Amino acid sequence: MRVRFVLAGILGAVLFGGAPGLAHHSNVAFEVTKVITITGVVKTFEWRNPHTWVLLTVDDGKGGKVDWAVEGRAPGVLLRAGWTKNSLQPGETISIDMSPAKDGSKTGLVARVIKADGTILPNAGPAQQ
Amino acid sequence: MNAQRTAVLMFCLIPPGLYAQTPPDFSGVYYPINPFGAFGRGPAPGKQPPPAGKAPAAKGKEKGPPPRPTQSAPLADGSQGRSPDAPSLTPAYMAKWEMIRKSRMAGSSEYDNTAKCLPPGMPAMMTMAYGMEVMQNKDKITFFSELNDALRRVYLDGRKPTQKILDDPTYAGYSTGHWEGDTLVVDTVALHENSFIEGFSPHSDAMTVKERIRFLSPGLLEDRITVTDPKALTKPWETVKTYRKATSGNDELREFACPEGLGDAK
Repeated sequence: MRVRFVLAGILGAVLFGGAPGLAHHSNVAFEVTKVITITGVVKTFEWRNPHTWVLLTVDDGKGGKVDWAVEGRAPGVLLRAGWTKNSLQPGETISIDMSPAKDGSKTGLVARVIKADGTILPNAGPAQQ
Repeated sequence: MNAQRTAVLMFCLIPPGLYAQTPPDFSGVYYPINPFGAFGRGPAPGKQPPPAGKAPAAKGKEKGPPPRPTQSAPLADGSQGRSPDAPSLTPAYMAKWEMIRKSRMAGSSEYDNTAKCLPPGMPAMMTMAYGMEVMQNKDKITFFSELNDALRRVYLDGRKPTQKILDDPTYAGYSTGHWEGDTLVVDTVALHENSFIEGFSPHSDAMTVKERIRFLSPGLLEDRITVTDPKALTKPWETVKTYRKATSGNDELREFACPEGLGDAK
């Protein structure tokens, strides 16, 4: 039984090892003075503390796809900025303005999200400016 | 008639604190105004690099240039040096700051308490970046920070820190306060050195904090903070925080539950 768990763990590591992980980063992991934009299809939107996560599948420009895991502000902050836990649905196309990771991994820190109809989901509402 | 006039005159000459029977009630939810000081304002025009890709066409919605992801961004890792109004550190503590700066610029969270879900501690917690809830009664006032669900209590019933308390320092420390007119004066002691004054300016276990908290106008709360630390600071450091009371519909803080995301902390 224990062996099975270990095997499952190893299999999991092999399967998911190459994808960007949902590690909890500090702001210092990102080039916060830079903002870049990526556009792709939402895979999942994780509404959890201390940071939310958007998993996004992006065209790599060479006919392939690459997955990004982008870290957003906390649910409490986003609620007051107009988001809900259902703001992003799997399958929808969005753009994310974000600060890239210092280590060059496929992750970033959300500055804002722009939905396909042009709706902007910001990081902070007027009450917090 | 003369006696009456004299009585009225004398009443007017008494400092307000001596006859104010009911202190102001600070209870409520607040959001900070410009919590990170001058460095927290938006980038200067033209300084923002253009986005690398293209966003979908905005249908009649003003998109504008992308904002920075965090208000504290330029100060987050020290890559742009120290803010001009940062605490004046002694050489030993400046060397410590430089060491932490190198670690943070490399992207390490080793010296980032927030990333470890630890409380921000005093006085940093009074930045209240995600919002603050104040709960007040006659004997105690409690400040709650949504960021990391951090809490501090200020005792107003006249008690003083005992030696047992001084021997057991914490992140928030031990706070006692009294009213001077409409101003709450708070002294905080028993702070250990595992937190930062602001940003990542280090301090010693000899740090104490004095605050003067008052309403500037209805719903606009001010906290004037003076930090004293004979080991870490060349002179006391002063900072002023202001908070605006939340309006109806925006006056609820949310559970933070930081460790939810700690399982695979990096």
